[in-house]
Amino acid sequence: MNEKNLYLLSVLVLVSTVSYLLRALPFLLFGTGKKPAPVIGYIGRVLTPAVIAMLTVYCFAGYVKSGCLGTSLHGLAEMVAAAVTVALHLWRRNPLLSIACGTAVYMLLVR
Amino acid sequence: MTGYGTMGFAAGVLLALNGGVAMPALWGGLTSATFVSGPLQFLLVDWVKAGTAYLDVAVLVVCMNVRYSLYGLSLLDRYRVAPWPARLYMIGTITDETYALQVECPYPIGRDGTWYCLLLAIFDHAYWIVGVVAGALAGTALPFEAKGIDFAMTALFLVILTDQCRERQNRVPALIGAVSAVAACLVFGASKMFIPAMALIVATFLFTRRWLDVGSEGRADE
Repeated sequence: MNEKNLYLLSVLVLVSTVSYLLRALPFLLFGTGKKPAPVIGYIGRVLTPAVIAMLTVYCFAGYVKSGCLGTSLHGLAEMVAAAVTVALHLWRRNPLLSIACGTAVYMLLVR
Repeated sequence: MTGYGTMGFAAGVLLALNGGVAMPALWGGLTSATFVSGPLQFLLVDWVKAGTAYLDVAVLVVCMNVRYSLYGLSLLDRYRVAPWPARLYMIGTITDETYALQVECPYPIGRDGTWYCLLLAIFDHAYWIVGVVAGALAGTALPFEAKGIDFAMTALFLVILTDQCRERQNRVPALIGAVSAVAACLVFGASKMFIPAMALIVATFLFTRRWLDVGSEGRADE
């Protein structure tokens, strides 16, 4: 096994172990009858939309970093493609359709 | 539930076109089968490409997936009555969507409830694995050189975010997440933004709890 594959495999084992332990944590901590503080339940409810929004920002940060504002379109390609994706998804609620059309629009614009 | 299949397919295509790993179908299958979870599968490809150190990877995984341990809290009683092999498997399959369906389980805690949750977990997991592998194979077979295909990841997150924001109670939390992420990105740069962004998000949520905490059954304005 070469070095790169070993690295990939180690990362895979690491990530799945950490992920599993995180999911198992409440079951290990709270045995029979014990209830966690309500604040934890609250954080759990609000964290998901926040994390997804953070990941979306991360994606756009990547475009800015790679210089999309300096091109002839000044970041317009990203804005238009994002608008198409969201609008289609609000309208048709079909993830594959929204992703495919948004990406296609983007590919046409940056060509 | 079949939504997981299409979402997985898109994820798989993206995995293949990203080119970060040599065998996307194998990588996709492995990461899906070992409970790595959707968004992380994409980010992982970027990190692996950049050769991120193990410790950094571990910290980022904790940031990203800590929400699953919070999901587990609402499922404690439900999972406790399940036989241990089922329980161990179901713990591994906790994801945003599986969790959302399981907490709304129509059966009371007990035999029927356990079967319902277990089957749901198996189907969601299977749909996801099949979707990702099929998508990766399809992506590998695509004939053209595809500049701009990376937008699929952005589009995927936008789609999930749009779905989240259909529920009114999720809109302010999403906004807090976005603003925190922008702030962290401006100060620390895109590659180092995750940890400060998560800290900022959690801190903001703690400070705004009295306005945002509407309880598990109530919605802010309905």
